[in-house]
Amino acid sequence: MARFPSEAWFKEVQEVYNSDSSLHTGGGGACETTAAFKVGDECYRIVFEGHQCLEIRSASEAELASPETDFIIEMAPELWKAMVENIQEHGAAHDDQTLNSIDLRQDDSIAYSPEDDQARQDLFYRFNQNFQDFFDASSRVETTFD
Amino acid sequence: MADKDAGAAVPAAVSAGDDDGPQVEGVPEPTYEWMGLSNEWGVRVKPGEHGLRLGDLNVGIYGEVPEEWNDHTRRPRGALPRPGIPPLPYNLRRKHEMWADCAADLYEEAIQRRWIPATEVPWGSLEPLPEEVERAICQICTEFCQYANTELEIITYWQGQMSYGYFEVKQFLATATFDCARHIEAFRKRALANGGGLGIEQRGSVNRMILESRGGWTESVTYLYLLRGTYTMALYRMLLNAAHNDAERFIFSHCIEDHARHLTYGYDHLKYAVTHHVGQDRILQTLLAIGESIMGTELKEGTMGSAMAVLLGGGIEGGRTIGMETYLHGVGDFVRDYLALGEWIGVPREENLNPMLKKYLVY
Repeated sequence: MARFPSEAWFKEVQEVYNSDSSLHTGGGGACETTAAFKVGDECYRIVFEGHQCLEIRSASEAELASPETDFIIEMAPELWKAMVENIQEHGAAHDDQTLNSIDLRQDDSIAYSPEDDQARQDLFYRFNQNFQDFFDASSRVETTFD
Repeated sequence: MADKDAGAAVPAAVSAGDDDGPQVEGVPEPTYEWMGLSNEWGVRVKPGEHGLRLGDLNVGIYGEVPEEWNDHTRRPRGALPRPGIPPLPYNLRRKHEMWADCAADLYEEAIQRRWIPATEVPWGSLEPLPEEVERAICQICTEFCQYANTELEIITYWQGQMSYGYFEVKQFLATATFDCARHIEAFRKRALANGGGLGIEQRGSVNRMILESRGGWTESVTYLYLLRGTYTMALYRMLLNAAHNDAERFIFSHCIEDHARHLTYGYDHLKYAVTHHVGQDRILQTLLAIGESIMGTELKEGTMGSAMAVLLGGGIEGGRTIGMETYLHGVGDFVRDYLALGEWIGVPREENLNPMLKKYLVY
């Protein structure tokens, strides 16, 4: 059983996502981006290529701020936890726990470009469903929380 | 050999065993003076890790994107000009009038991420909704059809005037028009697929403002994407959040992704224009002062607001309370995004924001 958040947890999600093409339909096509997730102090770097999640691993803050990162999704740990719990319960993000709906509720967007590059920040919207599909894949990962 | 009498225009078959090599009868002798006429020959672009992309082709002279393109013909960038070609009305011939660095990549993205409303939207997931809600979604779809056909028409109006020196932009905008056609299709189908029908035509003052923006493509982009487009994105996101079934979820999530590409181009172009054309920021300030007023009036008087409120509130009753509150919060998000984008583009509007838009900042 993998703990959220951890590199092991994200790698299990990656395995589920990559092995089931039915999880690749929501995004409507290929996705090419290098993004990052910030869960409290923990940072993860994710690389999408085509219909695959090519890489997901722990990263340093400095790495996240590098020009390679298109955008970062940052939320308070309790928001991440509520989203993952909701996905575990429903098999996919439900009601107000999708990335879109969480973002709508926040004063500041949960996604931003470390380079203040609007075109790269917009990738959060252009590839929104790919990221949603990725997190929805976590419904098949046995999960514990801190 | 073919029968010559059968028709002189039909090429004859090649005799495989002919000692003199393949011969074709019935057509003029080929000429070869065009061979060897090239600005740059021997180019061999290799596919990158994402395939052979439009942007990869920008090598040697083919990658030289001029600040001004004075050729009034349809000559592809990098090809040799032919003397004597009559000029065509390509009135947009300066890079700052249309350019965005991301255009080539957005073209590839649009090609890869196309979708098919007829078969990919799970239409079977539609179920009867309360009549007030069905009427609201149908009214919204009706107005979205008008938003999309306005975008399609203004792009095509300018597209024919954009010179071929900036073909990446023309290519991307071609995908944007197809996206618009797809959106019209999807919204029309949603309105007609669940016991409702199209609602009433929107008065359309913002549509008219966009369609009558004839001062240049940059002016149209200002109204189409920075003002209307940013608002439309806020609506799509609220509607995805409030989707009643998988069909609506599919439609709105994909419309968000398509529309986000259009906005990326639009915002990037405006920033490029402001950065590369002296005085453009002041022109945009003036345009936005006019546009905000028309946008503010439409937000106040248009039917979209009440239709959204009814939909978000689950009916007329809920539309008076939670529905309208949710909608107004969404409009507040639109205005906040608009101000942040203006700042990023180099056209800060906070100080001079029209009061008809400013009032939404409290939500």
